[in-house]
Order: sequence, then C-alpha cells, then structure tokens
Amino acid sequence: MFLQTLVTGLSIGAIYSLMAVGYSLIFSVLSFSNFAHGAVIMLGAYIGLALASKLGLGFALVMSGAGAGVIAMINERVAYAALRRRGAPSLYLMISAMGCSMFLENMVYATIGARFYAFPEFFGSRTVRLWGSSLSLLDLCAFVISVTAVFALHLFITRTRTGIAIRAGVNDMTMCSLMGVNTDRLISVVFFIAGAFAGVAGVFLGVRYLVYPTMGWVTNKAYIAAVIGGLGSLPGAMMGGLILGVLETLVSTYISSVMRDVFSFTALTALLICLPDGLMGAETEDKV
Amino acid sequence: MSGHYAEISGLHVYYGNIHALRGIDMYADKGEIVSVVGVNGAGKSTLMWTLAGVLPYKGSIKFDGLPLPARPHETVARGVSLVPERRRLFTAMSVRENLIMGAIRRNDRDEIERDMERCFALYPVLKERLSQRSGTLSGGEQQMLAISRALMSRPRALLLDEPSLGLAPKVTEALFDTISQIRGDGVTVLMVEQNAYETMNVSDRCYVLQAGTIAMSGNSSEIMKDPRVRKAYLGD
Ligand SMILES: Nc1ncnc2c1ncn2[C@@H]1O[C@H](COP(=O)(O)OP(=O)(O)OP(=O)(O)O)[C@@H](O)[C@H]1O
Ligand SMILES: [Mg+2]
Repeated sequence: MFLQTLVTGLSIGAIYSLMAVGYSLIFSVLSFSNFAHGAVIMLGAYIGLALASKLGLGFALVMSGAGAGVIAMINERVAYAALRRRGAPSLYLMISAMGCSMFLENMVYATIGARFYAFPEFFGSRTVRLWGSSLSLLDLCAFVISVTAVFALHLFITRTRTGIAIRAGVNDMTMCSLMGVNTDRLISVVFFIAGAFAGVAGVFLGVRYLVYPTMGWVTNKAYIAAVIGGLGSLPGAMMGGLILGVLETLVSTYISSVMRDVFSFTALTALLICLPDGLMGAETEDKV
Repeated sequence: MSGHYAEISGLHVYYGNIHALRGIDMYADKGEIVSVVGVNGAGKSTLMWTLAGVLPYKGSIKFDGLPLPARPHETVARGVSLVPERRRLFTAMSVRENLIMGAIRRNDRDEIERDMERCFALYPVLKERLSQRSGTLSGGEQQMLAISRALMSRPRALLLDEPSLGLAPKVTEALFDTISQIRGDGVTVLMVEQNAYETMNVSDRCYVLQAGTIAMSGNSSEIMKDPRVRKAYLGD
C-alpha cells in the first residue's frame, strides 16, 4: 500500500516537475513569473485529446509537446518581446502574461466550450506487481517519461552549445548577444522548450484527471514546486515537483484529501520562512 | 570618403534626455592601436558600447567600408569584439564555458580548440583553471579571461574598455604587452583607459574625450607632450 502511494505521488510529482522546469527556465531567463504557463499546459492537453484516440498516446505526447512549444513561442513573440526589448519592468511582463492566460482560456470556452473531456483509457487499470504491491502502469509511465525528459533537458543545458548559450543568457543577456548570439532567437528556443514540457505535462494531467479550459490552474503547484526547489534551478524544480507530489499524495491518503492543498500551501510558507532561497537556490549561484 | 579601416563621423548618442556623445569623428587604420582617454563621465564607455552595437546612435560608423549595425550579434559577425568595463564575464560558468561562448558563432571545432590553446599560451593560468567558475577567479585572471573570450571570436577589431582596471602594475604591464602582440596579428585595437601614461605609450594615436566631444587628437607621442594633457591626465 505504501509503495503504491509512493509511486502515485512520484508520478504526480513528476508531472509537477515537467511544469515547474519550464516555468523556472523562463523565470531565470526573463526574471518574470509567466502566468500564461498554465494556459499552454491546457492547450497542450487539448491537442493531445484531439489526436490520442486515433493516433495513440505516444504520438499525442510528441505532437502536444511540439504544438504547445510553438504556442509558447508565439505567445512570447506577440505578448512579451516588445516589452522585453524596451526593458520594461518585470511587473509589466507578468500582467501581460495574466492577460494572455485569460485570453487563451476564454478562447477555448468560446470555441470548444466548457465541457469536461476524458482521454480514452490507455492502460485501463493495468498494473505491474512489485514486492507485493500493484502499481499503476500509467503512473510508472508518467514518472519514467517525465524524469527522462527533465534529465535530457539537464544534459542539453549543460552539454550542448545552445544550452551553454542559454545559461550565458541567464547570466548576462547583453554579454550573450555581444558573443554573437541572436538573443531573440535564443529566447524563442527557451519558450519552445518550456512550452513543449508544458504540453507533455498537459497530456499526462488530462489522462490522469480531465481536460477543461481552466485545468491549467494546477500550475500553481508548479510555482510551488519551483520555489521549493529554488527558483531558477532546474534540478531544484525537479526535486521540488517530486517532493510536492509525494507529500500531497501521502497527506490525501493518510490524513484527508481535503487537507491536501491546505497542506501544500502551508508547507510552502513554512519552507520559505526557513529557507528563503529554496532547497537548491542558496548554494547554486549558478541558476538553471 | 577616405578609405580608413574604421571610420566614425558625426556620432551622437543619447540616454533619454542626456546627450552623452555630441558629434564624434574618429578613425582607425588596420592594425593600429588607438586610445581614448578622458575623465570619469566623459563618455568613453558609451562610445565602446555604441561601437559594439548595443546602444542606438545617430551619425555614421563604418567598418571595412560598410556601416556597422546597431545589433550586437551582427556586429560580432562583422568582426568587432568588446571587452567591456568591469569584464562582465559569465560568472556562474566555468572558464572553459566562457571561452566556448566567445566562439559561439563559429563551427570550426578544431580551429576553436587551436585558438583556445593560443589563449593558454598567452595566459597559462587559464589552462589550470579551466573548470573553475569564472566568478571565483582573481581580478587579473578575470581580465585575462575577458580578453581571451573576446579573442575567441577571431575579431578584426578589438574594443577594450579600461582593461587595466584594478590590476597590479606588473600585471598591467603584461597586459599591454599582450595588446601589442594582438596588434601584431593584424587586429585593430581601440582602447579606453584611465591609465593615460601607459596607454599613450602603447598606442599609435590618441583621442582626448571631454564631455562627449573630442577635445584633442593626434599621435600619442605628440599628445603626451601637450602641456594641457600633461596637466589633466598625466599628473604633471
Ligand atoms: N544608462 C545610462 N543612463 C543614463 N545616463 C547614462 C547611462 N550610462 C551613462 N550615462 C551618462 O553618460 C555619461 C557618459 O558615461 P560613460 O559611462 O560613457 O562615461 P565614462 O567616460 O566611461 O566614465 P568612467 O571613466 O567613469 O567609466 C555620464 O554622464 C553618465 O552619467
Ligand atoms: Mg567607463
């Protein structure tokens, strides 16, 4: 029973990580809280929903990732690029992001409607037996894919030339452009990555719960995860997501499901009082 | 127009209402070391950031016969590289990563490795510190890295903004040696310095910048003899 709860928690946590990593990446590059991240997650879920029944989960994940990545990129070009080039304070970017989020949600209300949709059953209630517990195949799948994706992103950021350029941009954007990097293009790449992770997270959320216009509000959890881990740190965002997922699942299983969100926000506040920089924020001056 | 390698004419730069550069005319020939001296706030750094493409300007900046765009990544592509005031290294990244960033536009892996070796020949200490975070280097080491990083783009013109800032006299001397060496490779150097005496010694020509205008210009050796310059900048 405990193992089962733990795996469920890790799987939910891994989905939080997917959301948190993208959110955190954008935060470290542009120093603002991208409140439109949830809307991108939601749109990713709808893309997945449209494709999954005919083409299968794997293809839906890839296309949602790509589609949500492009949406996030367009979002940046349309709503943030002009503000950013003018050197507007980050509050302006944040408000613009809120506007985008409302716009996208209401577009979905107006065109697709407020109905709740469910993904087709992919794994049914298929389970894997391990040490006497039966673990949901869906949970395992979500966990493995999410963790692999975050690990791949970590390798990309630390090993490739584009990754090094992104970290340089986080460190000093003007100097990054003085090295010959087209920073507009670099920021587009960052938004594409963040959007793609959001799209994949959206599909997993939709499969686990339901798809509806305000499903992106769950990104509150991603903000918490990113802050727990230390804003701007990718390994931190990942750890934060996993910890939050596991804690929440333990609380709702062993204490009460009503207490779940009360608990997460209390835990966040307590953590911030004790560790204002989050788990990995303090020692890693090295953001991302 | 005469055929100087780099030619600046009627250059004006504004920060909002502040008129920081007020009609600057300058030139540099290929392989020259040109220095700019001036008191704090004269507009030296503004000039450097403008030439590097960071600040918008009015007037004309021509490099190798073509106008220089006010977009930093395109300026680098044209062969102009800036070592800014206070170095501005990627402090959270390793020495090696800083050097890779310097060559980020290039695709010739082998040549990049060879250029890195060339930097280590110039500054052996960098090789020992390859994986150290650059923010933890000493001031002098940081300056060496900043210059190496700029050289990794294989610039045709190098802009140095106060390279000797905060360095011990010995280190400054070594720095000016390498600047002469870099010029020997055919690179044009434009250098801003507070350290007027050393600068005029190493440079071919010199401009004196005063409140956003060129107050004086000529061969460094002659400028050094000018009594007004001696009084204002050389501490006579
Ligand atoms: N970002 C800015 N916004 C407004 N004014 C600025 C800005 N940067 C510089 N200035 C002004 O422009 C003028 C020239 O500044 P600049 O930094 O070019 O001087 P400098 O010659 O490099 O001085 P220093 O020797 O102290 O480095 C100064 O009067 C300064 O106050
Ligand atoms: Mg200056």
